[in-house]
Amino acid sequence: MATANDDEILEGFLCPICKADLKSASQLTSHFESLHSEEQDVLRSLKEIFGKAKKIILNNDDSDLKETFDRALKFSYQEHRYLDEEQSIGVSRSSTDYLKGVRSARLERYATETNKLLIRLDKLVCNMPSDPNQRKLHEQEVVPWLDGSSVKLCPNCAKTFNLTRRKHHCRLCGSILCHDCSLFLDINVARAIVDPSVAQTSNPPDHETSEKNGLRLCEHCYNLIELRKQVQESRNAKTVLVTAYEQMRSLMDKARPDVVMYEKMCQSLFDGETTYNLTDVNKMRGRIGKLAEGIDLLSKQIIAFPAEPGTRQARLQTAIRQAAAHYIKEDLLSLRKLPTEAQIEEVRRQRYERAEKQIQMERERMERQRDRMEEMAGPSVSRVESNQDDDDNPLLEQMNIIREYIKEARKEMKFEEVAILETNLKELKKEYQLQKLCNKS
Amino acid sequence: MNVIQAVKLYITRMTEESGPGMKVILMDKETTSIVSMVFSQSEILQKEVYLFERIDSHSKWDNMKHMKCIVFVRPTSENISLLSRELRYPKYGVYFIYFSNVISKADIKTLAECDEQETVREVQEVFADYLAVDRHLFSFNIVGCLQGRSWNPHHLQRCAQGLLALLLSVKRRAVVRYEAASEPCARLAERVRDLLRREAVLIDNNIPFNGEIPTPQLLIIDRRDDPVTPLLNQWTYQAMVHELLTINNNRVSLAHLPDVHKDFKEVVLSSEQDEFYAKNLYSNFGEIGQTMKSLMDEFQKKAKSHQKVESIADMKNFVETYPLFKKMSGTVTKHVTVVGELSASVTRHNLLEVSELEQEIACQSDHSKHLQRLKNLLSNEAVRHHDAAKLVALYALRYEKHASNALPSLIEALKTRGVPEHLVKAVVNLLEYGGAHARQSDLFGLQDAVKITKRLFKGLSGVENIYTQHTPLLKDTLEDLIKGKLRENLYPTLGGDDGAYGRRPQDIFVFIVGGATYEEAQCVHQINQTYPGVRIVLGGTTIHNSTSFFEEVKAAMQGVHRTHTRHIRNV
Repeated sequence: MATANDDEILEGFLCPICKADLKSASQLTSHFESLHSEEQDVLRSLKEIFGKAKKIILNNDDSDLKETFDRALKFSYQEHRYLDEEQSIGVSRSSTDYLKGVRSARLERYATETNKLLIRLDKLVCNMPSDPNQRKLHEQEVVPWLDGSSVKLCPNCAKTFNLTRRKHHCRLCGSILCHDCSLFLDINVARAIVDPSVAQTSNPPDHETSEKNGLRLCEHCYNLIELRKQVQESRNAKTVLVTAYEQMRSLMDKARPDVVMYEKMCQSLFDGETTYNLTDVNKMRGRIGKLAEGIDLLSKQIIAFPAEPGTRQARLQTAIRQAAAHYIKEDLLSLRKLPTEAQIEEVRRQRYERAEKQIQMERERMERQRDRMEEMAGPSVSRVESNQDDDDNPLLEQMNIIREYIKEARKEMKFEEVAILETNLKELKKEYQLQKLCNKS
Repeated sequence: MNVIQAVKLYITRMTEESGPGMKVILMDKETTSIVSMVFSQSEILQKEVYLFERIDSHSKWDNMKHMKCIVFVRPTSENISLLSRELRYPKYGVYFIYFSNVISKADIKTLAECDEQETVREVQEVFADYLAVDRHLFSFNIVGCLQGRSWNPHHLQRCAQGLLALLLSVKRRAVVRYEAASEPCARLAERVRDLLRREAVLIDNNIPFNGEIPTPQLLIIDRRDDPVTPLLNQWTYQAMVHELLTINNNRVSLAHLPDVHKDFKEVVLSSEQDEFYAKNLYSNFGEIGQTMKSLMDEFQKKAKSHQKVESIADMKNFVETYPLFKKMSGTVTKHVTVVGELSASVTRHNLLEVSELEQEIACQSDHSKHLQRLKNLLSNEAVRHHDAAKLVALYALRYEKHASNALPSLIEALKTRGVPEHLVKAVVNLLEYGGAHARQSDLFGLQDAVKITKRLFKGLSGVENIYTQHTPLLKDTLEDLIKGKLRENLYPTLGGDDGAYGRRPQDIFVFIVGGATYEEAQCVHQINQTYPGVRIVLGGTTIHNSTSFFEEVKAAMQGVHRTHTRHIRNV
């Protein structure tokens, strides 16, 4: 497992990342899994951010690294499978395609007919003269009326035509029908159907639509047009409620990762890590509080929209408010309490002491090992002095860059990034110290 | 094989497949129960489902095009026509339709023809077609599945469909075994087998054949083989609540109690949502009292520390722990109310004494002593008529063939006591329903030499707890099945799959025609714990207490001529 570096040669069971000598293969594996198990993400970000540092950190055997990752991933995958065994969703069967097949075959017939009617409707309402006689001419010009001379009965209700039951024509298909069987389509509504961009005067016609302000239609044509109208309406069913609701949901979507992040930051503080400081976490808390306020406000707005009590609309609004209140109470306000400065100091101190002790032990062990090695081999391999100057050491340069990044990220409250960068910085520091150590010896 | 989880996964996916947006769920009576067994309302609200509508409600048409509608109904012809009407005049913007069982192509065609506005986005069959009562317990909520000793055809169909759904929802290919002596079991087993055959393609495509584990078995048995278990008073929490207060879809009504707080008119007892309940549903009554007390102490300690809110810090502390505090206080008060009522009933109705005699009649053999004590209890005013009738029924079953059987005189005693007519009849009905002629198993262990000696030793060493001597017959049946010793001539396998017999099954579904009990649920729970690798799911047409069991028996014996109890003339 020896690898050639630019100008120095390290031997032994080296960790490909921190280059610590682990003395045995099994130790190396366990070291790698315990310390570098999350290395993958870090590596990926590192690759992009720093070219130079990557070269130094990653110049060891890449395939070795890959193998370890593969193993680690496979392990977790298996575990996942095992847990899933009990929980996988049961059998289901979809008949959606069949339904769609039947439906479209059926609706295709309607579609061509509806289109024909729409074109006619467009022509009818486009330049409709207001004078009744001219209007009649215009209508007949667009749709030729059926010759009624041979029709004795209304085709719809089968009653005879006479003086009181006059013959009428459907304005869309030209067929004959009696007055009782006619339906009327409001002209304004018709205009809205052919041109949806025309804002429909939203007050529904209180007055009965009649010959004067409506189009006389047979039942068949009326139904087709009505269907078309409803489909159109459901497509543009965006109301104030929907807008407010969507806003509220988007705030909730924002809050969710924040809460996770907050928990992580809080935990890190309690563990005595230095990745985040108390102000960071407090800011985060403030941000979540603001989101909670926003959600609260919007949900109150939603419940305040006018709705008749007891209707679905009213129940819907109450339920949304209830859900929002529950969410705020359970997820946003029950956040963990922050430790005080003193507590943080205390854990940090303890941690530091522990780390110190460990480093001390490590150092002693290494010293001993080296002594033994030197005794055995004698002063044979004299290490090549690194002729790198401390000032333009690329590691130092990188460290400074990262510090800048951290400052910026903190300002923008991107704590996810702060965490990654902090780990990077630590890695670099470690690397730098190691290098120095090597250089000294 | 967690049935609650299986139903939850289906419903969760329904709410997810429709994407974000305001949702309404449209259900029928049965699916409403199915959903409410596994999710609380607040859980569903968090999934953006804000309205719960019944498909059979006749409310006004509203324009709610901004909502997505999840339809979850059973595939009955009534539901199809209601749904067709809904699609013709759609209230909601889009529809995602889920049927809880197999639906025919013709029905889908009907729906497609009604969907003129193209609002349907999804049509699926999901198999959440049973009430998941607990992880290992399901029910169909059918009381009176048999009428005149044979299946009500609707109920037969419902149970067969439900069992098919069960197997599909937990992805198991099972062979069907049934109790040979029972005609209803045979009918149901055949029906299930037919349904499984019809869906062979679906099963082959979705459930891989696993040769490594023994084939799972679906065992269908008859309540008539063990009419004793539903009659006994129980002392474990869940079973006791059901016997004394009646659990209906995980809900217990306390409205009949005087001065009960308005929040507790109806309480929900669900092991999924109530941690205390989950931990204690199988603890016996004495233990519950202890746990309750320590919980109260802890709660009071906390409440006390919150009372002295002096500084700002105290205040903050209080507010921060408040949600937990409130949750805990709700749970504590709820269970204190329930346990309080249970303990009041126990003293009010002399239940300790009643239960002791019940257990002894069921488990021991001493006719003259039992008869004497039974007569004493019958003359005790505090004993409820219901319990008196139960005791006589137990006696009738236990000493049916005893030389000096005194049933007619006991029935006379019941009458002079003023026990209502229907309860007196219930005793005779029960003997007709589950007497020796109707049972294929040795319920009281009278023939089996091993059992007789076992009982003898038990008698010598003294029983641990006189109130919990009885173990349901189901335990023996299941242990035989697990050990591969359940006899093929008594419990034949349908389809004659030889591979299944002799191999010890690990995944077992056992279904009791005529209803299961919570005592049996506990027994299955214990077996699941004791035998590693064994997973048993218990189901019944319903979950009985003694009251509903009397109803079941009454329905089953409707119009049946008495053939085995003709000697009892005074009814």
